[in-house]
Amino acid sequence: MNKFKTEVYINKRKVMDEDQELIIQSKKGKMKAFQKLVEKYKKPAFFIALGLVGNRDDAYDLSQEAFIRVYTSMREFDPRYKFFSWFYAILSNLCKNHLRKMEVRKNYIKSGMVNAEMNHLKQRTLSPDVLVEKNEINLRLWEEISKLPYEFKEIIVLKHFQGLSYKKISEMLNIPLGTVMSRLYYARKKLKENLKDILN
Amino acid sequence: MKCEEIRSYFMAYLDGEIEHQKKLEIEKHLSECESCRKEYQSFAKLKEVTDKMKLADLSDQLWAGYWKGIYRRIERGAGWIFLSIGAIILLSLGVYQFFKEFFTDPNISLIVKVGVSTLSLGIIILLVSIIRERLFLFKTERYREVEK
Repeated sequence: MNKFKTEVYINKRKVMDEDQELIIQSKKGKMKAFQKLVEKYKKPAFFIALGLVGNRDDAYDLSQEAFIRVYTSMREFDPRYKFFSWFYAILSNLCKNHLRKMEVRKNYIKSGMVNAEMNHLKQRTLSPDVLVEKNEINLRLWEEISKLPYEFKEIIVLKHFQGLSYKKISEMLNIPLGTVMSRLYYARKKLKENLKDILN
Repeated sequence: MKCEEIRSYFMAYLDGEIEHQKKLEIEKHLSECESCRKEYQSFAKLKEVTDKMKLADLSDQLWAGYWKGIYRRIERGAGWIFLSIGAIILLSLGVYQFFKEFFTDPNISLIVKVGVSTLSLGIIILLVSIIRERLFLFKTERYREVEK
């Protein structure tokens, strides 16, 4: 093993050991250890949720809810696995359910729809306030990402907003590397087609 | 390699997750095939604009309150569980004591005891029926998660 690989290996072990230790302590009811775990992962949790649900308040609530679910089901966690992959599965389910609820709500009010109601709902699933730069390209791109099917949106969020490697994404989603590449291909192809007018 | 095979490596090439040998093969193909080159360039342009798009961070105040919010919700959840258990124990005990004293009281006539018994039985049957119906509706109601 060369020096670089050894360092990467040691760092990986360190992260795993640190998480495992915090989980073991949290399982014993030590809130300080659980707080450390939350402080460590709160930002990626929030930004993943934000990319998936498109609204700051909902992303804040959902990421907090995911940590609460982690705390209440801590006993089910097998410390041999990576904490963040387990956490991501919980967070992703919450976001998926949230989006489903929003969709049902949209269909429910569609018939007797008032513009204000629909605009409010659009703001909840596609808020432009979350963008640093609100130029035409970003607004269109943000809109098109939010329209993607969940599994495509998720892969764009993990790759672009979290900057994760294919290997890390494949571990988190529990899918083969080839599937990561093909989902990314189809997600980008779809975005490319829908944004043809501004990309050329 | 054929165009189709080359395109299947586009993502890995674009994200720098490709082996050196494959990278050279793709670069060679792209220099020769205009159709693949155009397709690749459009993916590269999309990646460029997507990478530029950044999501705004929260204020320091919101980050500072993040853990407190989680702690409060966990604390309240535990509080509600204890409160519910305590209430159920006390309520059951109260009901038991009431019926015990009521039925053993010699001053209360038999007809009143029979009336109270049938009345209680009716209330219990109605309650069970309503709870069962609500549970069934909750499982099958399509719009149960819609905020009204």
